[in-house]
Amino acid sequence: MLTLGTTLAFAGAAIAAGLAGVGSAIGVAIAGQAGSGVISEDPDKFGNVLVLQALPGTQGIYGLLIAFIIVLNIGVIDGNVKELTTYQGMALLFASLPIAIGGLMSGIYQGKVAASGIYLCAKRPEETGKGIILTAMVETYAVLALLISFIMVNGVKL
Amino acid sequence: MLVPMKKAMLYALKEDRDSILLALQREGNVMLIPSAEEKVLPGAENVGNEVEKTHGAIKFMDMHVGKSSFLASRTPVSYTKFLQDTPEAAGLAEQVATLEDKISSLRNEAITMLAQAEALKPWLKLDIPLEALGATVSSVYFAGYMPELTKDEFLADIKDLTAEVIVLDEAPEGRAIVVFAYKADGPEVKHFLKAHDFADVVFPKRIGLAREIAADLTDAARMKESLADNLEEEAKKVAERKAELQLYYDQLIAKQDRMASSGLETQKTFFVEGWVRADKTDEVVKAVKEVTPAYDLNFVEPEEGEIPPTVMENGKFSRPYEFVTELYSRPKIGSLDPDFMMAPFHFIFFGMMLSDAGYGLVLTILLYVVLKLFKPQDSTGKLLTVIFFGGISTVIWGILFGGWFGLEWRPLLFAPMKEPLKMLALCFGLGALHLGTGMCMKMYLDVKRGNVWAAIFDELSWLVMFLGLFLMALLPSEIGKYLAILGAATIVFTGGREKKGIIAKFFGGLLTLYNISGYVSDLLSYSRLFALGLATGVIAMVINTIAKMLWETGPVGIIVAVFVLVGGHIFNIIINVLGSFVHSSRLQYIEFFGKFYEAGGRAFTPLAIRTKYVDVTK
Repeated sequence: MLTLGTTLAFAGAAIAAGLAGVGSAIGVAIAGQAGSGVISEDPDKFGNVLVLQALPGTQGIYGLLIAFIIVLNIGVIDGNVKELTTYQGMALLFASLPIAIGGLMSGIYQGKVAASGIYLCAKRPEETGKGIILTAMVETYAVLALLISFIMVNGVKL
Repeated sequence: MLVPMKKAMLYALKEDRDSILLALQREGNVMLIPSAEEKVLPGAENVGNEVEKTHGAIKFMDMHVGKSSFLASRTPVSYTKFLQDTPEAAGLAEQVATLEDKISSLRNEAITMLAQAEALKPWLKLDIPLEALGATVSSVYFAGYMPELTKDEFLADIKDLTAEVIVLDEAPEGRAIVVFAYKADGPEVKHFLKAHDFADVVFPKRIGLAREIAADLTDAARMKESLADNLEEEAKKVAERKAELQLYYDQLIAKQDRMASSGLETQKTFFVEGWVRADKTDEVVKAVKEVTPAYDLNFVEPEEGEIPPTVMENGKFSRPYEFVTELYSRPKIGSLDPDFMMAPFHFIFFGMMLSDAGYGLVLTILLYVVLKLFKPQDSTGKLLTVIFFGGISTVIWGILFGGWFGLEWRPLLFAPMKEPLKMLALCFGLGALHLGTGMCMKMYLDVKRGNVWAAIFDELSWLVMFLGLFLMALLPSEIGKYLAILGAATIVFTGGREKKGIIAKFFGGLLTLYNISGYVSDLLSYSRLFALGLATGVIAMVINTIAKMLWETGPVGIIVAVFVLVGGHIFNIIINVLGSFVHSSRLQYIEFFGKFYEAGGRAFTPLAIRTKYVDVTK
């Protein structure tokens, strides 16, 4: 039987996967738009552009990860959904917030840096590596958010 | 380690210039320094144009025969063959360029003709030849388009005027009509037409009925198309000689490199300067000697203020990691080459972040095959070797953590997902080791430069304090506390020693102690080792779970499940190899290099045979 707690846990998983996914989608899209422009001028740069476009995609994966762990812990995967207390559910909901919000915002902004990295690669193809490094700097915050979400989700004993 | 560089100064006769440069180019040891007054050598512009033309020709051939694959091995060519002049190739480039021009102009003409024929479509029923549609002595004509919607209204209204209207077919612009009127009525008719949105038409200057002209145009266009097709066939045959053009292109590039700098010249002699590795000076002398005895070659140390390029020399294991350093920035002359220390850490971190033994095996085997078969050069080769080593590291960590394609099986150490705190401790421990190594390298640099006190006050004090804090946490005895206090006191008392006045010195020291927050944030950065390993593992688990669910739905499900497994794990490997490489490198650049690295070196680009298509063997 679904308790309020279990429902709240579902909400947590949904928010984690959903918002982080949106962040990555927007980020990768921004980078992709820049990439199309560059490739229309010089198709040979496709490899470099693709690497830069892929970098903001990790936030969605992290969000899915947390959602999956929540869903695994409450028993959806093996078919026996546990009955959580309201507080347990709320804890899981809050635990998903770092990666949800952090993933959303860092994904969008990382996409913007990736887009400018793509322009950098268009002007100076030999410095693509520096563009990749600049883009990867934003990832730090997604990683920290993932970490704390994971520790919190793990800490809720069901 | 950084190789010491010397500056070569060469005087020789102008008539020997090309042979000497050829010999130097073959050895590839000298990076020419452009002199203050550069002159463009005669013939350099021609070579530049030839390069453009050949490049265009090769691109054209690629369109017809297909590009060679990304990792195709380059054709080996002997050095003697590379030196041989190939006038046929020059003619071939010319031939291809002409063919390309002809084909494109033929096709463009055909397109224009077809467009004109299309424009004549609404006029096909007109029985008056187009050249006859002119004003006669007593009449004028108007040919053009009228909006279709107002057609009936128009035809009704025009009956009031003395004009003859021939209504033809519809067109995108409207209904084609021809209006005849007496010259006297001309202005009135014109006014009427304007009021009814009449638009004039311009006919092509040809003779005959509209339908005949259209037919002629279509035939002519078709003929041009078929001519173009024939030329395309010819182009296909010519494109098979692409290898000749590729060799020619490489020869031209080599020639262009030789003509890049003129050096200083007199009537009969010239002078060039170049950077040479200190251990290669004898080879340079030998190369010049073989060409001519008339030369003067000296090697001098770089002067004050001159910055020679940076050349790194490392052992076989560290050499591929030069790629990681070069991606960031080359070391400044006089600084440290970080590769031999950076390589093992990059190796370890890559494995921890990919952390699946199954993926590691796939990566190792795949890259071993690629490296052996294609033998990629330079940067690409170094990058692939770094990932190859990373694959080996991944297998090791995968065995330690028990990850095999997302399934957990007998971890030798512990499973990170089950014991996150232990994993974090491991990450922070490795991080502390990494940071400590960075600080030690700074100490070594300081001592080498003679700043022993700086080494003690700026680095040793921190190391002592951290050691003390660490021991405080571990051991119950008091030694940790004393070490920590000793370290902290040293920092506070010596951190502000550059400032003037005792108060300023003290506050400077306190401020320096505050840098501990920087160290804490550096340490926290290493938690990404855990996070990325986690990401790989959980995604693999997700893929396996989905595949299992599909498997249980029946035979169709089994097929789909196999696709999901293979596709999903490949996707996971690609994404996570990218992430592991980028973050492993990032940890080196920010946390490790931040402690001691001095960037700003220039690349060493010697005059050498740079080839795009062939591999010159000596």
